[in-house]
Amino acid sequence: MNTNYFYKKYVIAILLISSTIFTGCEKFLDTQPQGSYTLDNYPYPQGGGPFDEFIFGVYDDLRSYSVHVDGFINATSIRSDDADKGSTANDGGADVFGMDNFPVLTTSGRANALWTGFLGIVTKCNEAIYQVESNDDIVSDEEIKQQTIGEARFFRGYAYFMLVRLFGRVPLIDKMLDDPAQQLNIRQNSVAEIYKFIEDDLNFAAANLPLSWDERFIGRATQGAANGILAKVYLTQGKWAQASSAAQKVMTSGQYDLTTDYAKIFGEDGENSSESVFEVQATASPTVTQTNGTQYASIQGVRGAGNWNLGWGWNVPSDVLEAAYEPEDPRKARTILYSSTNTTENFTIYSELMPRYPSDVPNPRYNHKVLGSPNLRNTISRGCWWMNIRILRYADVVLMYAEAANELGQTEEARTALNSIRARARRGAAEGILPDVATNNQNTLRNAIRHERRIELAMEHDRFFDIVRWGIAKQMLDAAGKTNFRIGRDELLPIPQAQIDLSKGVLEQNPGY
Amino acid sequence: MRKFFTLLWLTSILSMGYAQVRTVTGTVKDSQSLIALPGVTISVKSTGQGTQTDEAGRFSIQASSTDVLTFGFIGYTTQEVEINNRAIVDIFLESHDQALEEVVVVGYGTQRKIDLTGSITQVKGEEIENMPNTNPISSLQGKVAGLTISNSGSPGAAPTVRIRGVNSTNSSSPLYVVDGVLHDNIDFLSPGDIETIDVLRDPSSIAIYGLRGANGVIAVTLKKAARGRTAVNLSSSIGFNRVIDRIDVTDAEGFKKLHDADRANAGDSKFDYTNYTANTDWQELILRDGFLSNNTLGISNSGEKSSTHFSLGYNKQNGVVKNGDYERFTARLNQELKINDRLKIGGNISGMYWNMRPTVITFTNALWAAPIVPVQYDENTYYSMPSFQRAQVGNPIATLHRMDNKSLPTGYRFVGSLFAEWEIIENLKWKSTIYADLGFNNTRGYTPLPFYFMNLGESEGENTITYDENVRTAVSQKQEQFTRYQQDHTLTFEKAIEEDHRLTAMAGFTTVFTHNQEISGNRRDADLNIPDDPDFWYINISNPNANPGTFAGQGTKNAIVGAFGRVNYAFRDKYLLNATIRRDGSSKFAPKNRWGTFGSIGLGWVVSSEDFFQSIDVVDFLKLRASWGKIGNQNGIRDNIYQPGLSTSSSAIFGDNIYTAVGPAYIPDPNLRWEVVGGVDLGLESKFLNNKLNLEVTWYDRTTTDILTSLVIPNTDRSYFTNLGKITNRGVELTLGWNDRINEDFTYNVSANYSYNKNVVNSIGDNINFQIFGNNQANLTETGKSIGYFYGYRQIGIYQSLSQMENMATMSNSRPGDIAYEDVDGDGVITDKDRTYLGTPFPPHNFGININLGYKGFDFLIQGQGVAGNHIHVQRRRANFAPINYETNRLNAWTGPGTSNVEPILASNRGDNYLFSSYYLEPADFFRIRTLQLGYNFSTGLLNNRIRKARVYVSGQNIKTWSKVTGYSPEAPISSITAGGADNGIYPLPATYTFGVNLSF
Repeated sequence: MNTNYFYKKYVIAILLISSTIFTGCEKFLDTQPQGSYTLDNYPYPQGGGPFDEFIFGVYDDLRSYSVHVDGFINATSIRSDDADKGSTANDGGADVFGMDNFPVLTTSGRANALWTGFLGIVTKCNEAIYQVESNDDIVSDEEIKQQTIGEARFFRGYAYFMLVRLFGRVPLIDKMLDDPAQQLNIRQNSVAEIYKFIEDDLNFAAANLPLSWDERFIGRATQGAANGILAKVYLTQGKWAQASSAAQKVMTSGQYDLTTDYAKIFGEDGENSSESVFEVQATASPTVTQTNGTQYASIQGVRGAGNWNLGWGWNVPSDVLEAAYEPEDPRKARTILYSSTNTTENFTIYSELMPRYPSDVPNPRYNHKVLGSPNLRNTISRGCWWMNIRILRYADVVLMYAEAANELGQTEEARTALNSIRARARRGAAEGILPDVATNNQNTLRNAIRHERRIELAMEHDRFFDIVRWGIAKQMLDAAGKTNFRIGRDELLPIPQAQIDLSKGVLEQNPGY
Repeated sequence: MRKFFTLLWLTSILSMGYAQVRTVTGTVKDSQSLIALPGVTISVKSTGQGTQTDEAGRFSIQASSTDVLTFGFIGYTTQEVEINNRAIVDIFLESHDQALEEVVVVGYGTQRKIDLTGSITQVKGEEIENMPNTNPISSLQGKVAGLTISNSGSPGAAPTVRIRGVNSTNSSSPLYVVDGVLHDNIDFLSPGDIETIDVLRDPSSIAIYGLRGANGVIAVTLKKAARGRTAVNLSSSIGFNRVIDRIDVTDAEGFKKLHDADRANAGDSKFDYTNYTANTDWQELILRDGFLSNNTLGISNSGEKSSTHFSLGYNKQNGVVKNGDYERFTARLNQELKINDRLKIGGNISGMYWNMRPTVITFTNALWAAPIVPVQYDENTYYSMPSFQRAQVGNPIATLHRMDNKSLPTGYRFVGSLFAEWEIIENLKWKSTIYADLGFNNTRGYTPLPFYFMNLGESEGENTITYDENVRTAVSQKQEQFTRYQQDHTLTFEKAIEEDHRLTAMAGFTTVFTHNQEISGNRRDADLNIPDDPDFWYINISNPNANPGTFAGQGTKNAIVGAFGRVNYAFRDKYLLNATIRRDGSSKFAPKNRWGTFGSIGLGWVVSSEDFFQSIDVVDFLKLRASWGKIGNQNGIRDNIYQPGLSTSSSAIFGDNIYTAVGPAYIPDPNLRWEVVGGVDLGLESKFLNNKLNLEVTWYDRTTTDILTSLVIPNTDRSYFTNLGKITNRGVELTLGWNDRINEDFTYNVSANYSYNKNVVNSIGDNINFQIFGNNQANLTETGKSIGYFYGYRQIGIYQSLSQMENMATMSNSRPGDIAYEDVDGDGVITDKDRTYLGTPFPPHNFGININLGYKGFDFLIQGQGVAGNHIHVQRRRANFAPINYETNRLNAWTGPGTSNVEPILASNRGDNYLFSSYYLEPADFFRIRTLQLGYNFSTGLLNNRIRKARVYVSGQNIKTWSKVTGYSPEAPISSITAGGADNGIYPLPATYTFGVNLSF
């Protein structure tokens, strides 16, 4: 028998089969993601905002733990003279001791969260801009494109404004990078470069964002928000004329006023009122108690037991803040939530009897502005995850205008603006409480405006940045007993050690750490 | 030649004439196990007259006193014994020379061990069957050089397995192959069902398995029907688990003392303990002795045309932590039919059902809870923790009682295969096999109402009882489905040419397709209290309109294709050649990078078969081998990650409106490609002194390039999955065995193995210019050091006083009582630059020793095992979020100059002392008595000889460990590669005591 022939037949057969199989293999190996989209097959909705999905990711970030929650509350408020950590003595450990009374640990998880959180927003903004500029599959008119870019640049500008005030020098990332592993390890830019970048972004945003959105998009970024943040950017740099001008744009936009009662601003029914220039939106329901909300209020909630277990009890009003109020200022009761004591009964704005200090709660005071309504606390959750975060209020803009105007020598305008805030604050109060400021002295007026800013915006996350930019941080913090503050170091958070490590030393630590 | 036989025959006849014919009796036993051998053929050499041993191995035969008896038995070396006037001749038969007959799994076939050119170690089923482990892999610990196994005590949990160190930053788990089917785990196998386990370690041995085998292969061969008879085997054991090494935490008195000091040092007022008078040992309350039982029943039958093997298994393990348990039932049927001389078909089906009661409490909860709190006030009221830890630490027993048995996970798994083998022409075989592996998991769960909590009054406050009214009952359901289909087709040519050449050539083709999906949902009932009864735990119990609930569903799909060929050639059993080539395609890569070609080559030289070697009597066997191989790896990476995947789970909120937000889920690398593992393996195998001593030495050098790594990119919160860098693992493996019999009653063997692995990251790639950290900067992976090493400060003592500190490097805010760190860069201050290499989480040294003794019916096994050279990060002690209970080392905390040079001051506000440093590292070296087993074999046939074998034994596992580790287990938590070695409250590895029976009918 001819074995060779026999084998040959088989070899040919096998070769034939193999080649058929291998052609089939390519198809066999082309498995697609199951139950998830890729950039190439996402069914972008037609009409409405074609790029909304990309920019909406930023709104998700705004509510997140690493952006406007734990690190944010610590760095902007607990670091200031007006608030203390609160809670029980050792709660939170060394990380928070550093936030409360300096220096902040270079290993602070909270500082690191702020870094990744706000730079995460920058990444999303760059991606959204990239989509607008290069995604040909999405059909859209030019105006919508510019508006989306404006919205992205608003948040990018805002994120860098937070970053530059928190950390000083940070790396500027202005586009999506094609080789992230190679390119994303970037050196820090100078503070001046960062401010220039922020101004460009916010100016572009102000020029391209709408004055307002319809009810479906309430709370979305507007021209007013861009101008308001821009005013603060200028104010922080001492660019008084530009600050005044940006603030004025908000004040003359016709979108905002001071009609909302101070007592109403902070509750659920005060959300997105005519006082609101920009606030982070949050919601919750009995079935979805947290996912669409934010832990912001929970961290500051009354630290009691049972129905008074509203949260961690952090960020409590300090002794010096309590002492700073003018007699009978109605804003005090809306800001400071007093615990009952063995001798005194205290009540919430909802007339609930507060638990007693020190036996039932560890702190005599809590932040009253974040207290949710008892009705929702009983039906949804006591953590109040639905409470919006007020980032920029109209009163803030008016006081920025007053400050800028006063520095520009426009005493009259400054005083009028200041007194409009005081007038709202004393509305409904007894005669003689919070009288108008009458001074013509620029320096006296400056102090009055600073005082008003402190009281009006107490516990609202500007105090630390304010005392730093006014150059009075050491003096005020010493007075509050936070004597560890060291000039030249503690104005800024440390660049997180985790980030320096990751960058292999490309990022440089802030002075003094 | 013929003359010689004639002469012999004549001699025999003659001698018969002189000798007296008598009855000779005796017993035949296995020389190793001392088990009686039934069915041994005995023939009288001169007459050819024959008989067989009975069930008890006894025989009786008529022979002349000078005759010679021949003892023959399948699988044993035939022995001739002169009677020499004896009436009783007891014989020990030696099983065939292992080196010649032993066959190991080499992938799509088997090979004689003697012909191997790579590193493969075989472990027999008997060594696994009687170990008290549900997962058979756990029993390999300490038995195989180069194999690192880290066990978990958690019921039903699989151990972490590493073969020759860590190859990749991503997945380093081996591939499991059960009778040819590829698996990620073998939790569906009953230990008693296993015939052999082969551990394939070097690149040349695993190359044939291709892309999924790059981390090494563990090939399991299941029991098949014994030839020629019906056999029934039962192995059964019961026992219990107990935690013998607890973590020392302070009691109430110790806690108060330390907590007071802590508060005082942090400048805080003294805590009011008035109402906190309890002394609760939370650890004691959550631990228990856990019952366990392992049983396998195997029945097999085999005839001319067909063979059948059927087995049933039952395993039950109660965890040592209340009240977790795991229960498993397995069944398997294996059937082979011989259609004709050329065609054979067969099939195998395994089924498994499991259920478990999940462990609901974590150890850290019990370790951290203050001991001053009582447990329970009344049936529905528990005490809450003191205010200083109430928000962070719950009452562990309240958690246990509320959540225990409120989740009902169960699962099924079926693995089936069908094959046909056709001998096309002589020497040429075609074999096709199709496989299916189907898994179904199912969970129902329930959220009960909360308990009432008694809050003890502090600072003159009153006791209050609180109840959380916001918590409503809820139910959840989850179903998962795993499917995998595989087909293998091979054509094998096998031929021996004139005794000199033996050739096996094989070509084949395989595909594997995997598709998994899951769906889950839950509903919280806002109106009704759903009863605490599993009959109600279905989502529809809650009105869908009033309680919309949340739902989720997802899936994964991937495919691989491989074509392969292999040639094994041996010349006069002296010169060996093995070569493999394999082309692989994987759906995990983009089409342009999808295909890769890999291969291996191995050479062997059996020196002892050379003529010049015959004169060396001491050495019975000596083989030198060398191999090289290269394999593609795609393990552990997510499907389709080269594509720009979107995340659609986030949302924008405007008012109460919720909108979908879309963004990249990660940063895709469209150029993602194969990770390549390649290396060489040099080995020496030898036997000395009549095969009593054996020694095997292997040296290997294995390099992984283009490592598949997930990175966190700086300045974003995104991960990036890409290829980068190069890792080398170099090591030696040493196995030494001694095997002997002192006399007819007493046998013993000792074997020891040792392996050393050195891991070096040669490069983390040119494509990144930043660093890879894990576990909050505690682990660093960088060029020139071992992977994921511990990176931190090195403690040199405690700062005793301000004056002493003037002469020492300090941190900017160091104070007396703080940990003094080494000034590594010598700049006079302690900064982040002083962090340094502190050790590795992965044990470089692994060793094991096995001693078997047999005396008459008794057998005794002692097995020791250990590791050295690695450290454990005691991360559970670094918790600093709230005051927690202290481990007793803190009783020695620094309180003033000279009080301690190790333990820092008690002050939770001093962040410097919580930085990662050598203070939080413990040397993880350990040696333990892994197994101690004493058995007795009933040699005489029981029940009228119907029982062929009967053995009872008592066994202890992990009964004694020598170690400096303070946690529950010195076994390093090594499952994470770039963040390994951290003890955050790992499940205790208990000591296990069992009693067992093995019966064969």
